[in-house]
Amino acid sequence: MSTWSSLADGFAVALTPMHLLWSFAGVCLGTAVGVLPGIGPALTIALLLPVTYSVEPTAAFIMFAGIYYGAMYGGSTTSILLNTPGESATIVTAVEGHKMARAGRGGAALATAAIGSFVAGTLATLGLALCAPLLVKVALAMGPAEYFALIVVAFAAVTTALGDSPLRGWVSLLLGLVLGLVGLDPRDGQARMTFGIPYLLDGIDPMIAAVGLFAVGETLHVASRLGTDHDELIPLKGSLWMTRDEWSRSWKPWLRGTALGFPLGALPAGGAELPTFLSYGLEKRLARRPEEFGHGAIEGVAGPEAANNASAAGALVPLLTLGLPASATAAMLLAAFQQYGLRPGPLLFANEPALVWGVIASLFVGNAMLLLLNLPLVGLWVRLLAIPRPLLYAGILLVSSVGAYSVHGSSADLLLLFVIGAIGFAQRAAGFPIAPVIIGLLLGPMAEQQLQRALAVGGDSATTLFTRPGSAILLGVAAALGLWPAFQWLLGPRPKTFLGAGP
Amino acid sequence: MKNYPEFRAARLLLAVLLFAPSPGSAAVSAQLQETGDLTIVAPAAPGGGWDQTARVMQHVLRELGVARSVQVVNVPGAAGTIGLARFVSSERGRDDALLVTGLVMVSGVVANQSPLTFADVTPIARLSGEYEVIVVPATSPFRTLADLVAALRANPRATSFGGGSAGGTDEILVRLLAARVGVAGEDVNYVAYSGGGQALAAVLGAHVSAAVSGLGEFRTQIESGELRALAISAPDRALDIAIPTFHEQGVDLTLLNWRGVVAAPDLSRAGRAKLFGVVRQLSQSPAWKAALKQRGWADLYMEGEEFERFLRSETARVAGVIRPRGAASRTSSAPFARVVMIGFLGSASLAFLMWIRSRRAAGSAVVSPTMPNRQALLAVASAVLLNALFIDHVGFVLTSALSFIIVARAFGSRRLVRDVGIAVLLAASVHLTFTRLLGVRLPPGLFSAGAGVR
Repeated sequence: MSTWSSLADGFAVALTPMHLLWSFAGVCLGTAVGVLPGIGPALTIALLLPVTYSVEPTAAFIMFAGIYYGAMYGGSTTSILLNTPGESATIVTAVEGHKMARAGRGGAALATAAIGSFVAGTLATLGLALCAPLLVKVALAMGPAEYFALIVVAFAAVTTALGDSPLRGWVSLLLGLVLGLVGLDPRDGQARMTFGIPYLLDGIDPMIAAVGLFAVGETLHVASRLGTDHDELIPLKGSLWMTRDEWSRSWKPWLRGTALGFPLGALPAGGAELPTFLSYGLEKRLARRPEEFGHGAIEGVAGPEAANNASAAGALVPLLTLGLPASATAAMLLAAFQQYGLRPGPLLFANEPALVWGVIASLFVGNAMLLLLNLPLVGLWVRLLAIPRPLLYAGILLVSSVGAYSVHGSSADLLLLFVIGAIGFAQRAAGFPIAPVIIGLLLGPMAEQQLQRALAVGGDSATTLFTRPGSAILLGVAAALGLWPAFQWLLGPRPKTFLGAGP
Repeated sequence: MKNYPEFRAARLLLAVLLFAPSPGSAAVSAQLQETGDLTIVAPAAPGGGWDQTARVMQHVLRELGVARSVQVVNVPGAAGTIGLARFVSSERGRDDALLVTGLVMVSGVVANQSPLTFADVTPIARLSGEYEVIVVPATSPFRTLADLVAALRANPRATSFGGGSAGGTDEILVRLLAARVGVAGEDVNYVAYSGGGQALAAVLGAHVSAAVSGLGEFRTQIESGELRALAISAPDRALDIAIPTFHEQGVDLTLLNWRGVVAAPDLSRAGRAKLFGVVRQLSQSPAWKAALKQRGWADLYMEGEEFERFLRSETARVAGVIRPRGAASRTSSAPFARVVMIGFLGSASLAFLMWIRSRRAAGSAVVSPTMPNRQALLAVASAVLLNALFIDHVGFVLTSALSFIIVARAFGSRRLVRDVGIAVLLAASVHLTFTRLLGVRLPPGLFSAGAGVR
C-alpha cells in the first residue's frame, strides 16, 4: 500500500498554507479564463510560465493544476447561462444547459455541473493515483484505426441524439465536416476549399465557429422572433438548488461521464471534447425520458460536465508517466517541467515523489476548493438572467466578439463570426441542430489524419479498419447507432420520425 | 530572516492574482535591448523537436530579458509547410515573429511543391542540429539494425516506420536506408505523424515496426529501457550515449537534422537588424549553450548570407532524394474529403426532397411560418458586421459600444442614456481586462495615443 502512504505524504505537501494559497490562486484564475471564450487554460499557463523562475516547482504545478481544472468549471457557466461556450469542452453543455436556464432551472444546471465536476475530478484523480501505469498501457494500444473508429462512434452517437430527426443531424454533421476541410490539406499542405482567400488557409477555428453558431446565431434568432414569440426567458422557477428528482437523475450520469472522460482523456490524441460528445449521446440513450433531450434534460449537463473534468485528470496520466502531452494544456505543463529541468516520464515518480504526489494531492484540494467557490456563486450567476433582455443580448454579442477577436487578434475573425452566425441563424430557422456542426468541425480533421495513418499502417487498404478487433467493434457500434433510426423508419410507417416535425 | 522566501512568494502570488505584470522584471532588463513582444511559431505539434526549440528559445529569451513576453504558437502539419504558409500570410512585414524551421521544412517544400518557399521568408540563422536514431519497442524481435534490415528486405510493406511529417528528415533517413540496402523507394512503408510526440506514442504502442526521430525526442525512453535504439545517424560514437552508428554496422549513412529560425517577408531594415540582434544574443548566451548541451543538440550557429547559401544547397540536396508527389496520386488518395462532400450533398438533397414531399402532402393545411421580425434581425446582423468592418480603424471600445447600443435598441430598449452608459462602461472594462491584465492586444483605434502600443 505504498500508493496510499505516498498520497498521504502528498497531502502533507499540498495542505501547507502557502500551497493552499497557490491552489486558490490557480482555481480562481482557471475559473476566470474558463468563463472567457477564446482564452483557455493552455494560453494562461503559457503566459504564467515565467513564474517558474521565482517559485519552487511544487507551488507552480499546484497553481497550474488549479488553472486546468478551474477552466473546466468556468467554461460551463457561460455555456449554461448565455449559450456561449467558454471552452470547446463545454460546447455540448450549452445544448441542454441553456434550455434549462431558459426554463428557470439555471441554478440546478450550474449545480449539477459543479457537483458533477467535483465528483468526476475526485474520482479521476483517484484513478490517476491508483492505476496510471495500467491505463497508459491501454491508451498506447490505441492505434490510428481505433482512433478513427472512436471518432466515427462519436459522430453516430451524437448526431442521432441531437435534434428531432437523424437526417437533419447528419446534414448538420456533414456541414461541419465540410467546414473542417477548409484550409490546407493535411497530406500535402495544398490549399483546399479556400476560394483563393489567404485567411482561410488557417482553416476555420472551432472556437470562433462555436461562438458564432451558438451566441451570434441565437441572438439573431431571438431578434427575428421579437414580438411574435411568447417563449420568455424565466430567470428562476422553483428552488435555486437541485430538487430531489434532479439529484436522482444526475448521479448516474456523473459516474458514467467519469468512466468515459478519464480513459479517453488519457489517450495521447483523444482530447477533452470527444468524451463530452460521447457522454451526451450515451445519456440520451439511457435516459428515462429521452424526449426531454433538446428541451433541457439535466442528464445532458451532468454527464458531459463530469466527462470534461475527468478527461483533464486523464490527460495527466500519459504526461506524468511517459512525458507525452495529450492536450494543449498538458503540453504547457510539459514545458513547465522542462523549465525546471525535470523530465516527466517513467523515472519522475521515483526521482521526485514529493512533487508528483504533492501535485496529485493538490488536485483533490483544488477540486474541493472549486466546489466551495462555485456553489455559492450559483445564486449570483443566475441573476445574470434577470438582466433586461436588450442589455443581456447586447452584452452576449460584445463578449463573443472580443472572445473571437482574441483567438488570433484579427478582424477577419469577426467577419467569420458574422458568416458563421448567419449560418447558425439559417439552421435554426430551418430546424437543423447546430451542435453537430461543431462536432464535425472539431473532430473531422482529427478523423482525416487518423484515417490516413491507419491506411498507411495497413498498407493502403481499408480492410485494416475491419480486421483490427478494436476498430471493428467500434465501427460496428457506430453502424448500429447510425443506421438504427433508418431501419426504424424503413420498418414502420412513420416517415415523420425520420425527418422530424421540422420548424 | 527565514521567512524571506515565503514573503517573496506571497508578493508574487498577489501579483499573479491581480494579473499584474511584475514591475520588478522591467528594471532588470532595462540595460538589455528591450524588444517587446515576440511570437515564435513552431510548425509542429507540441512535444516535437521544433516545439522544443521554440520553447527553449522562449525560456532563454525571457531569462535574458531580451523580450518582454515570448509566446509559442504551434501550427502542426505537412512537414511544417502549413506553418510556413500561415506564418507568411499572417506575419508579413512584422518584426515580432520568428518561425522555427529546419531540414524537415526544406524537404517539405520540395515534396509538397509548396507554393511558398524559403524565398518567401527572411532567413535569420541556423541554430542547432541533432542526429537521428532508429528505435524499436523493448518487446520487438529486432535486436540489431541487421535484424531490421533483414525484415525490410524480406517484406518491406509489413515493416512500417513511424516518424515526423511526410518528406521530413525522418523519412529521408528511412529512404536513404532503404536505398542503401537495396529496397525500392515505392515499397517503403513510412507512416507520417505530426511531430515526435505522436510518433513516440505510436512506437511505444507497437503500432509501427520502428520509429525514427531525433535522439532528444526518444532519449528518456531509451535510457529507461522502454525503447531500444538500433542505430544513430552520427559519423562516430562521440556522444554520451552508447548507440551504434550506421557506419559500424556496415551501412554508409550519416544525416544531421539541423534547425534554425526565419522571419516574415517584407521586413524593414531595422526590423531585420532587430531580429538578428535577438537571435545573436540568444545564441551567445550561456543559458542557450547549456540548454543545447542538456538536450544533446550540437551548436551549429550560422547567420545571414552564409545561412541563405546553406538553405539553397540543402534545397538542392533534398530535391535529389525526395520526389515531389505527383498530381495523379494526389487525387487518388483523398477518400475522406470525397466521402464528406458526397455525403453532405446527398443528405442535404435528401432532406430537401423530403421537405418538398411533406409540404405537398400537407397541401394547403400547412401552417404558414410566423413572419420574422425583419427589422430587429437586420439591425442585429448589421451590428455584428459593423464590429468586423470597423474594429481595426475605429478601435475596440467605440465599435463595440456602438454595436451594443444598436443591439439593445433592436431588442426594444428605449432608454438610450442608460444603454450608452452601460455600453461605454462595459466596453472600456472589457478592453482594460484584455489588454492590461490578460495581455491580449485589442485595436486601440482612436485611443492609440494613450495606449502607446508597440
